[in-house]
Amino acid sequence: MMSLSISAARPDPFLTLTAAAAVLLALAVGWSAVDHRMVGDAQVWVKPAKFALSFIVHFATLALIMRVLSPEWREGRALGLTAGVMATAFLGEMAYIFVQAAQAQPSHFYVSDGFHSIMYRLMGFGAVLLILGPLVVAWAAVSDRAAALGPATRAGIGWGAAASFVLTMITAGTMGARLSHFVGNPPPGAPTLPFFGWSAAVGDLRPAHFVALHALQVLPLAGLLLDRAGLGAGAVRWVALGWGALSLGLYAQALMGLPLIRL
Amino acid sequence: MTPDALFSLAGTLALPGWAILIFAPRRWPALNAVPAVVLPLVLSAGYTLLILAYFAGAGGDFSLIAGVRQLFMDDYVLVAGWVHYLAFDMIVGALAAGLMDRAGIGRIVQAFVLGTVFLFGPLGYLLARSLVGALGPMGLLARTFQPQEG
Repeated sequence: MMSLSISAARPDPFLTLTAAAAVLLALAVGWSAVDHRMVGDAQVWVKPAKFALSFIVHFATLALIMRVLSPEWREGRALGLTAGVMATAFLGEMAYIFVQAAQAQPSHFYVSDGFHSIMYRLMGFGAVLLILGPLVVAWAAVSDRAAALGPATRAGIGWGAAASFVLTMITAGTMGARLSHFVGNPPPGAPTLPFFGWSAAVGDLRPAHFVALHALQVLPLAGLLLDRAGLGAGAVRWVALGWGALSLGLYAQALMGLPLIRL
Repeated sequence: MTPDALFSLAGTLALPGWAILIFAPRRWPALNAVPAVVLPLVLSAGYTLLILAYFAGAGGDFSLIAGVRQLFMDDYVLVAGWVHYLAFDMIVGALAAGLMDRAGIGRIVQAFVLGTVFLFGPLGYLLARSLVGALGPMGLLARTFQPQEG
């Protein structure tokens, strides 16, 4: 039967999560047509859309890494467990973000009562799991000698996941501890950068968080380019150093209360 | 029985069906049949009895919002409407679970989609169909990525 042959081809779990994030992005964009309520300075659907987009990139990266692993690693228990834990954290986080947005309430830094404080803490815990997951996948890519990876790409995946984890813990951890991504108080209607929504008036920790998180894509891509150019894997660590310095520089800039670009 | 008692009875009937759909293994056809067939049939039978006994007396119809509101002024018809939701949402839940099983979607992701069908039926159905639909193009995209030999 047709249906049985389809069920035999089980999609990679990270591909399923990429598809789930894409569906949630479509849902948030569709929502924008009918709901014009605001949370702070942003329309209610903007945050669900941004998080869904970010998760598409996050899970697509892991799905691509999975494709080059040997079957023993790809179908092994460690990566299956990692995908399960990440799925729970991702969908739990998105469910809460959608529910809060539908009530025109914030989800992060929102500790109005006991329930919302617990949910905020759970989201923080889930976020840590979501950046720990790539470390397991990267560990597989580094350990799997049969993986179809050039030496610099392999190093880039390892450095990317490590840098992404450490830098995100620093930047996002600071936001979490301060209960705000702002350093300073932007007046209502203060300018923001197009698309990203980062403050163009006061310090904003989100650019540093963005750069930190995307070490997971930038460093493997740098490795891929180095392999194509026939250069050694050693250069990856210099790119990692530079990318880390960029993230920490933006972090320092935000902590001084300076916007990324003043508009 | 009072409308309140019927309301809680219907809810009590529905819960095990959802627990099976969301948490139970799928390898026993008899267990799968509980949410897919048995409980929807029981709920449909209850709905039928309520509608036969109370619909005419409520004095409304389906032609205008005012008519539907009139129907739902009667608590027995209101319970019948609720049982209608419970029965059909569970059928849709079983359908969505089957769709996602065949597409090879893992049970953790399924649990969130089925939870959405349970709480907000059509939204969950939309999610299930879209997710299964999105997997095809996603797989094609992934296959275009050629691993570089190391």
